[in-house]
Parts: sequence; structure tokens; C-alpha cells
Amino acid sequence: MSAPFRIAREEWRLWTRSRVVVVAAFIVAVLLAATSVLTALRLADEAERRTARQASAEATFFAQPDRHPHRMVHYGHYAFRTPPPLSAFDPGVDAVTGQSIYLEGHRQNTAMFADTRAAADLGGFAALTPANLYQLLIPLLLIIIGHGVVLRERESGTLSVLLAQGQTGLAIAGGKALALAGVAGLFLLPVAVLAGLSVTGGESPLAAGLLVGGYALYLAVWAALVLAVSLWVRQRSVALGVLVLVWLMVALIVPRIGINAASAAIDAPGKIESDLVMLAEERKLGDGHNAADPAFEALKKQVLEQYQAASVEELPVNWRGVVAGHSEAKLTALMNAHAERRMESEAAQARIVTWFGLASPTLAVGAASRALAGTDLATHHRFLRESEALRFDFVQGLNDLHATALTYADDAARSSDAEAEKRTRVNAASWRLLDTFRFVPDPAAARAARAALPLLLLFGWLAVLGGAIVAGARRLAP
Amino acid sequence: MPPALEARSLSLVRDGTIVLNDVSFAVAPGEVYALLGGNGAGKSSTLLTFLGFLSPSGGEVLVAGRPVTQDVEAARSAIAYLPEAASLYGHLNAYENLGYFLDLAGRRVDRAAMDAALDQVALPPEARGRRMQSYSKGMRQKTAIALALLRDTPILLLDEPTSGLDPVAIDEFHAMVKALAAAGRTVLMVTHDVYGACQIADRVGLLRGGRMVGSFEAESGRRIDTETVHAAFAAREAA
Repeated sequence: MSAPFRIAREEWRLWTRSRVVVVAAFIVAVLLAATSVLTALRLADEAERRTARQASAEATFFAQPDRHPHRMVHYGHYAFRTPPPLSAFDPGVDAVTGQSIYLEGHRQNTAMFADTRAAADLGGFAALTPANLYQLLIPLLLIIIGHGVVLRERESGTLSVLLAQGQTGLAIAGGKALALAGVAGLFLLPVAVLAGLSVTGGESPLAAGLLVGGYALYLAVWAALVLAVSLWVRQRSVALGVLVLVWLMVALIVPRIGINAASAAIDAPGKIESDLVMLAEERKLGDGHNAADPAFEALKKQVLEQYQAASVEELPVNWRGVVAGHSEAKLTALMNAHAERRMESEAAQARIVTWFGLASPTLAVGAASRALAGTDLATHHRFLRESEALRFDFVQGLNDLHATALTYADDAARSSDAEAEKRTRVNAASWRLLDTFRFVPDPAAARAARAALPLLLLFGWLAVLGGAIVAGARRLAP
Repeated sequence: MPPALEARSLSLVRDGTIVLNDVSFAVAPGEVYALLGGNGAGKSSTLLTFLGFLSPSGGEVLVAGRPVTQDVEAARSAIAYLPEAASLYGHLNAYENLGYFLDLAGRRVDRAAMDAALDQVALPPEARGRRMQSYSKGMRQKTAIALALLRDTPILLLDEPTSGLDPVAIDEFHAMVKALAAAGRTVLMVTHDVYGACQIADRVGLLRGGRMVGSFEAESGRRIDTETVHAAFAAREAA
């Protein structure tokens, strides 16, 4: 057995014989198991309720009687997003953004990300998830276990014996690195099991494998940091203090600074702010419920010309339906422009926060983890866009019915004429125009591409710390 | 044949303080050399330069005729080092400690050989399977000496080897060092135990303030006179 492996094995023997370490490892194992099971149970329960609600919402929508199509526009419908299997490990932004949207005419209802600003991109810490444990608590345990990995030898005098035996600093550091890597590997088992289970649940092996690899890289960064400090600092108490300080900075303070910096650099107005601005612009578009609104004069002229008609009464289509469709299209374009601006701002904020991974591997692994789990901001934005497309198609489908299946005369008279009102009711079979919405997670390759930058940052951290370890090992002396 | 250990005009400055100043001595193969001196005389630092843990500021140290700075690994492989505080692992028992360090040194030693070495240093058999954290200082020292014996190197560097040992164990240790020297091992020990040094050393060097201030050699078939050395030691310390 080579010297580094022998040194690593001895370190492991010490750790397994040390009750404190065993107890600490046991506590973390229990916490990981508990959070994994609880998160999985919670998600399974939510998935069950979501499926039931989706089925119920669809059944209720389709079961609506014959109605005026515009009443169905306002009746609305729910779109649900089923979280990907890996969200059991890292629910990401889902906890903040929600996973369902009420779709209705003239509105984009959604739990807008900007309400919580970039804080959501940290995944939120309201609930303790396995990802939180890996990102925050496991590094702390590595610090507790490993801060004295070299210093203990120095302080007890065994370092001088090891060196006098002919062991080089590099061999000793290599052995300690292997020992710490072994601990990190042990702590990776739960995420590996969860990732394996997610694959059986339909997750891509590539995404699951990369998630495990990402956390392996993250724990390797912490192990390397612990070893580097143990090599460069002269006293265990100082090493522990330094590492805890670094942990505080890297895991708690820098992420907050990153979020504040992103918020300061990129202005992302909240939903209420956006809605107020949009309301003012909406008024200029005209009221789609009022076909006589002067805002539609140009449209009226164009449609009359198109159909060679002298008045709206002579049109072969229901002018009110035409106005409703036109108004919805304009309004949707306005809402989409605002939504896109907001999403771009949020995405820009998230990019800034990700670049703060240069100063915090916790931020980097968080970004990679959410991207690979399919619970990141980009996934949420795609859900918003896809559900909005669904909403628009569904509303315009009803507006088309409004324009083509109803006469203008009946429509105009329906408030005062019961018979006309009856004739404006569209057969309930028409509600089937609503597409069944199923949100599909991004392919693994797309998620991997989004995780590439944060993973690269982690590699950068590892390379820098590796250099510090080699330099420290070369000057290792009793 | 070159000296097993040699210091040539060795100087050492650490953090602006002169630790060793123009120290020269040589230890022949099979010889027992004791460096005597008070606290801060530079004794342990001298040992550490032979191991390459400290680099000379001036002069040089040689092991088997080769400068340590040229091939520190070769120097270390020729030397078994016994630090002042017997530094072995408390969570391991004597066998595990010996097995681990010998394994790292590239030596495969079976249990019988370990027992023989532990017998030689008189570590009680019933203690050998217990973790060393329950050992007394003397027992730890004995185990460390056993390790040095089992390394089977031509040179032994001993830093205050009898510190913490009871009188019987000290006598046993002295006998053991003599036996090692008789078997051809070179021993360089640093100590402030004048009596012990004169009991076993062929030559004694007296260090004070980083300078070699005296040297004593046993006459043929006789031991170094303890009184003479003690008087010189006391006079130098009082100066």
C-alpha cells in the first residue's frame, strides 16, 4: 500500500475511534436521511394533490354547460407544473415561485419571482432540504472533522516522526487529502442514493450523475480548503477559527452580498410595480369589453374595409368577438413585453449571483444544483412562458368562437333579450379546445449547459486550493 | 570511512536569533556521542539540521559523508529519530503504532519482531495491546525507542531519550544504547543529563549559547569522568 493510502487509512482509524466524529457523522446522516425522506414525502404528497387538482380543474372546466364564450374566458383554468424527480433533493426556486398558475383572460396571474427578488435564486431557506444540508452543514462537519488533519500531527509531534521516517510533505498531504476525500465520499452516499431513485422515477441519468458530481466537486473544494488551512496555519484553534470564519463568509455572507449586489446592479420591479405601470399602458389600448371604445376605430375601419362592409352589423363576423380577440392580442403583447423585461432582469440578477460563485463555492454549487435538478429560475421562466402561451391560445380560441359562432346582433342584444342570450351560448363541446398542459423538464443536456459555468467555478476553486495544498506540503516541517 | 554524522562550522539563525554559531563535530560509525547543554543551548536544533528540518544558515551537516541539503531523503532513511516527547498515536496500541510507522518506512515487521523489540525496552506485555493514550510517559518513550530499534537504521538521533523514565528504565536504556553501539550503530543523543551522558557516551560535546564550548573523550576502557564534565558544565552555565 502506498504511503498516502496508508496515511489516509490511519486517519480513518482515528476518526472511527473518535466518538465525537462518529456521533457528528451519525447526526448528519440522520439529518440527511430525515430531510431526504421528508422532502420526498412532501413532494409525493404535493404531486398527488397536484395531479388530483389538475384532473379536477380540467374535469370542471370541460363540464361547464353551454355558455357565452367570453364567460369561459373569465371562468379560467389552472396550469400545474409537476416538479422534476430531482426536486426531492433540491426544490430550488419552486418553494418561492409556486408551481401553479391560474389562467384567465386579460391577466397574467403568476407568483412573480421579482417579489422576492434574487433571494429566490438561493433556493430559499424556509425549509431544510437535503440540498441545504449539503451546501451548508456538510462543509461545517468537514471543518470540524478535518481542521486538525495536519495540525494534530504537528502539535502532537508525530509530524516530525513521519517526516523523519522519510515521508515527504506531499505524501503526507496526499494521505490527508485522501482521508478527507473518503469522508466527503461517505457524505455523498445519500445524494447518490436519491439521484439513483430519481433515475428510476424517470430522471435523466446524465442530470442525476452530474448532480452527484457537482456535489462531489463542492465537497472536494471544502476538503481542499480544510487541508490547505491545516497545512498553512500553525495552531489548531487558529485553523478552526479561520475555517469557521471562511464558512460564515462563503456560505452565509457572500451569498447575501451577491444578492444585494445583483439587486443594486439590475433593477427588477416587483409584480405590483409592474402591474401599476402596465395598467396605465393598458388604458391606452382600450377596453376589449366595449366594442365602441374609440381605441378600436382604426381596427374597425380596417375590418370594414377587409369585408367590404359599411357597418359592423353587416360584417360576417361578430365585431364584439373581433374586438375581444384584437384587444387580447394587444394586451398580451403588452403583458409579455413587461413579463419578458422582468424575467430578463431576474435572469441578469441570477447571473450576477452565479458569478459571485467566484467568491463563494456555496453559491456556485447552489446554481449548478438548481439547474441540474430542473428547479432553477430558467425552468420557472419557461413554465411562465409556456403557461402564458397556453393561456393566450385558450383565450383566443374562445375569442375566435365569440367572433365566428355568435352573431353581432344576438351578442349586442343578449342583456335585454333572453332568446338572444340563449343563442349566444356556445355548445359545451367547444371547451375541449383547451389543450391539456403538461410541463416537461428541460433535457439533461440543456440543464447541464446551464450548470456548466457554476461547475467551472468550482473547478477553479479546486485548482487554486490544490495549488495552495501543494505549496503548503512542500514547505511542511515539524 | 567518512564520519556517520558531521557538523562543519554549523550556524543557524532563526527569527533573527543566533541558535548555532560555528559548531563543528563529527561522530564516527559505531560511536555514541552526547551533546550536553542547558535549555536553549541549541542541542535539539543541531539534531533537526541532520534531519533536514532546519536548514543551516552557514556551514553544513553531513550524513555518511553527504551533505543533508543535497539529499535529505537519503539522510532521513539512514536515521531513526526519537523526539523528546515520545510522539506516537494515542488512539493506537503499541503494535499498531509500530506497524504503522514501520510500514511507512518501508519495513515489514511481524508481531514476534515487535515483541522482541518491546521486550528489549521492557514494555510490559499486558500494556502492548492497550491504546497509548493510557500509557505513562515512560511507556510511550519505551515504545518510541522500540520503533527506533525496529527501523534498523545505522544512525540513531535521540533527543532527551531518558526524560521521564524511571531509574530502572534509564539503566535499561543505557544498556540498550551500549548494545546498539556495540552492534555498529551510531548514536547522537542530546541531553542535559550529565551522569547519563558520561555513562554511555564515547565522547561528550558541551554546547552553550549555540557554541561548542567543550569536548570530553573517554579514555580507553574507561568512562568519561562525570565530575569533570559536571564541573565544566556548571562553570559554563554559571559564566
